Amino acid sequence: MLEARLEQADVLKKVVDAIKDLVQDCNFDCNDSGVALQAMDNSHVALVSMMLKAETFSPYRCDRNVALGVNLTSLTKVLRAAQGEDILTIKAEDAPDVLNLVFESSESDRLSEYDLKLMDIDQEHLGIPDTEYAATISMPSSEFKRICMDLMALSESVSIEASKDGVKFSCSGDIGNGAVTLRSHSNVEKPELNVEIELTEPVSLTFSLKYLVNFCKASGLSKTVKLCLSNEVPLLVEYNLAGSSYLRFYLAPKIGDDE
Amino acid sequence: MGIKQLFQIIKDECPDAYKEGEIKNQFGRKVAIDASMSIYSFLIAVRSGGEMLTNEDGETTSHLMGMFYRTLRIVDNGIKPVYVFDGAPPKLKSGELAKRFQRKATATEGLEEAKETGTAEDVEKFSRRTVRVTREHNAECQRLLKLMGVPFIIAPTEAEAQCAVLAKAGKVYAAASEDMDTLCFDSPVLLRHLTFSEQRKEPIQEIFTEKVLSGLNMDRKQFVDLCILLGCDYLDPVPKVGPHTALKLIREYGTLEKFVEAVEAGKTKFQIPEDWPYVDARELFFNPDVRPADHADCDFKWEAPDVDGLVQFLVTEKGFSEDRVRSGAARLQKNLKSSQQARLEGFFKPVPKTEEEIKNLKRKNEEKNEQKKKKAKEEKKEKQKAKAKPRGTA
Repeated sequence: MLEARLEQADVLKKVVDAIKDLVQDCNFDCNDSGVALQAMDNSHVALVSMMLKAETFSPYRCDRNVALGVNLTSLTKVLRAAQGEDILTIKAEDAPDVLNLVFESSESDRLSEYDLKLMDIDQEHLGIPDTEYAATISMPSSEFKRICMDLMALSESVSIEASKDGVKFSCSGDIGNGAVTLRSHSNVEKPELNVEIELTEPVSLTFSLKYLVNFCKASGLSKTVKLCLSNEVPLLVEYNLAGSSYLRFYLAPKIGDDE
Repeated sequence: MGIKQLFQIIKDECPDAYKEGEIKNQFGRKVAIDASMSIYSFLIAVRSGGEMLTNEDGETTSHLMGMFYRTLRIVDNGIKPVYVFDGAPPKLKSGELAKRFQRKATATEGLEEAKETGTAEDVEKFSRRTVRVTREHNAECQRLLKLMGVPFIIAPTEAEAQCAVLAKAGKVYAAASEDMDTLCFDSPVLLRHLTFSEQRKEPIQEIFTEKVLSGLNMDRKQFVDLCILLGCDYLDPVPKVGPHTALKLIREYGTLEKFVEAVEAGKTKFQIPEDWPYVDARELFFNPDVRPADHADCDFKWEAPDVDGLVQFLVTEKGFSEDRVRSGAARLQKNLKSSQQARLEGFFKPVPKTEEEIKNLKRKNEEKNEQKKKKAKEEKKEKQKAKAKPRGTA
């Protein structure tokens, strides 16, 4: 059986909130190393990959590998009943029909318990090759969100160019064009405001802003976000969660027509 | 047209072999469209008040209207279409074609009669039945496509077969046709309903040949045999064989040879039509007369639309509204220019399922099927019970 206790229900709440617009139904694959999720959006442009490591939970117990097929809209409804500070415990049998969720209030003796019906999902699992990215940029997640929202007002797509001078997000649309440039920057007092750029070669790629704005819903999960780019491969947007758990988004680039 | 009831079988026996979704999910893909079938459907469906659309001189424009706007819809959704036209039909089809011709003739007579005596509905019904795609229709559509910058190919014989070859060679993602034949020609993916109108809100069906074969537990030869039994364009159907029986027969005998042997030995209650060259039909499915995908004629390019040419053809000659033609041309131009969103499949490949997973999936599907059958049976029983009860005693 599976039993996993999370000190803060908020983590799961926010993860599900961040991905529920991209993915409707998906499997939570549980094994002894933790709870993993991988799913593509309907149009196969973006991929969500989440890993909640066993050490994120205390305690964590999973005797047999089990796939929990969940409708995320339904899970959101149940999770809405939990307060962010609640202690969350998820439980499931070895061949489960339902997922059991228990919320314990940290302040009072309130205990609520929900069973969520599971479904069979036949999902394709994609192999993501290990990539040495040409550019890795970490920045405050709020800054990334702001850039995406601001540029979204002008255009559908953004081009991200990383060079030794910095990283430039630019777009052009019907009403005009705009660009935001960030340079490496370290703030001693508030390290979470640091912008770090690691570069092995300059890159330039174009992405759909609609998807990036969607990814930014995960901003609440982590103060910083990491963008990894290489020419002609999907962009990786990574939010680190407690411990070595993570929520990653991959986005296929837009490519100019070579024909 | 196509294979009778094949989709029903797929739906019942291997529901995971097809997906339904919105047209926009297909963006970024190249698709080979069976043009002749589409033109036919435009002539039938693109009408106003039951009459075909015409210009001032009374020339039909339904096919151009359909071709122009439906192609625009496809292009707007980020799909790159290439149209494939029928060449000369294979000899075996002559029987079917003669029958179709016969039906048209009867319908034309019916139409005459209906015009004199029948109601408006009758007239409409018969007029739809008399529809034929003429050489002029094809030529006009080809001219239109050329002006739109959309490539087309003329197949040596059947368009579906040529579409399948292109899809198999990876030159396009899928073949688009309403005809289920396309599966027999081994197109890896078949898209249906792609050229339907927006208003019908029909989801696009995506059928995967490989999954159909594994779901039916057949190899391709058996599958083609099944389709021949179900009734294809080339052969007369075997009397008294419907979808269920056809499936059962193929499962029992394995091949048509064995089935025909059994029939000839008088071991079954079925009778095969006198002239039934099933070997030839099978040959047509396996080795259709097509151009190999690396042939120079199968090279296609999407080009910028010729706006002035379009206006000249559609507006001046065919009486379309100039504003709409121009805005359509602008859309073509824009979609050609704007960068294409790539799909993740191009970068990340699916991890093949382990043996165990495949087994599990199969078992689950079988269980589901069993349950469905049981349910259907029970419902039937209930119905019979309800019927058996005399009225008024409940």
